[in-house]
Amino acid sequence: MFQYEFMQRAFLAGGLIALIAPILGIYLVLRRQSFMSDTLSHVSMAGVALGTVIHVEPVLSGFLFAILGGLLIEQLRRTYKTYSEVPVAIIMTSGLALAMVLMSMKASLSKSFSSYLFGSIVAVSRTQLIIIAAVTLIGLAFFVLLRRPLYAMTFEEDTAAVSGVPVKLMSFAFAVMTGMIVAAAMPIVGVLLVSSLIVLPSALALRFARGFASAALLAVIAGMTGVFSGLTASYYTDTPPGGTIALILLVFLLGGIAIQRAAKMLGIWKAGDVSASGVPQSRKRQSNQTIHKRSY
Amino acid sequence: MPLCTMRNIVFGYDQEPVIRDFSADFHKGEFIAISGPNGAAKTTLLKLLLGIAKPWSGTVHWSADMKRGSVAYVPQQVASFNPGFPSKVIELVKSGCYPGLGLFRPFHSRQHALVEEVLKEVGLWELRDRKIGELSGGQKQRVCIARAMAQQPDLLVLDEPVTGMDAANRASLYQWLHGTVKSQGRSVVMVTHNLHEAEPYLDRVIYLEGKEACEHVSI
Repeated sequence: MFQYEFMQRAFLAGGLIALIAPILGIYLVLRRQSFMSDTLSHVSMAGVALGTVIHVEPVLSGFLFAILGGLLIEQLRRTYKTYSEVPVAIIMTSGLALAMVLMSMKASLSKSFSSYLFGSIVAVSRTQLIIIAAVTLIGLAFFVLLRRPLYAMTFEEDTAAVSGVPVKLMSFAFAVMTGMIVAAAMPIVGVLLVSSLIVLPSALALRFARGFASAALLAVIAGMTGVFSGLTASYYTDTPPGGTIALILLVFLLGGIAIQRAAKMLGIWKAGDVSASGVPQSRKRQSNQTIHKRSY
Repeated sequence: MPLCTMRNIVFGYDQEPVIRDFSADFHKGEFIAISGPNGAAKTTLLKLLLGIAKPWSGTVHWSADMKRGSVAYVPQQVASFNPGFPSKVIELVKSGCYPGLGLFRPFHSRQHALVEEVLKEVGLWELRDRKIGELSGGQKQRVCIARAMAQQPDLLVLDEPVTGMDAANRASLYQWLHGTVKSQGRSVVMVTHNLHEAEPYLDRVIYLEGKEACEHVSI
């Protein structure tokens, strides 16, 4: 299949997104913002529609809308502190409604929109590939260089702010990064499934990883395996690439949950061996002894 | 010269203020407790002190000596953090050193020794490779305090730090905090309901009773 240039591009684009999207997913899941990627993909679709209507490059307008949507969610998250899911619902429905209205203004839009809705990784253009590569590089730089403040604010925002992390600025930068990655990932799996590429690998990794770096690594491995095997399966079975990738990632997650449960039942898995009191049964005696030894 | 001065603070969440005309000084080398009945705005006072909440009126003034990262905070609910947070005990406590290290400076033997010391102090060195979600409530609380101490702050602010701890651990914690205040010159401000237990180790108590009454007791 690699004799076809479109498949080479598809693997390259998919590999790049599978490198950055699961890392973003780790932070989104831990910050309880898993639906942010879904929301921003809907907002981005409105941007694509607007771009088409006003004759601006749709990829660019979709990108811009995703970033603006991210910033708006972050601002509303600060307004609705108690109900943090409210801004997500507001922005998602607004994005979708705007996209529908704009689509109705141009009849020819409906056809090309299916590629945005369901993805068309095998039709990734050279421009899109360059955008994906640029976003991946910027994303990697963002997550590597700012890993310490990101870790601190993901653990707890108030303690991070008190210790000197510019939490507000970092949160807005994170929202911009999320918008960029979502917009870049859209051609791979489409608007409807973009969160599968971001959330599913990280959800799997968080079940097994014992450290932050290992969670990111595991999520990337799961994401890449899912994308590459999904593209291969899609090529040979003639199924839509986006849906195939999402289903494979879902199978990975379900498989991971099943393996973990089986390991717990067989007594192999110690990590989740937590009693009602929160103290792991297998080490309760040891921890009690430790308390008596503490010196303070 | 106090580390921090609060003057004529007024603050509320709705129309009605919960703190009215509050003033206090926080000095270097003091172990201060903030106490009072439920709803007396103890946590709110800490948030105002730390700049997490902005007062309606009044001022919070920090000494110029207080640099970025010289205050560490352990909130009330921090021990109920996401049980799936992917970190071992030692990784989380190490992150307490980040403010001192900035973005890029690597860990040296000094930081490793500090992390080992604070983990031993809170009795969790043996559990350093345990995932934090696997710890009990009291152990999580101690990890968070160890993390704050790894920051080597001039001022340590703790909101109900003994939640989930047994009596022996509570007494040991108060003793340790008292020791760091006296031997290392740190300041500790702590919200607590267990005033009778903490009292022997304290320098001062700020007792909040309702919206207006506020009593400073030197011990």
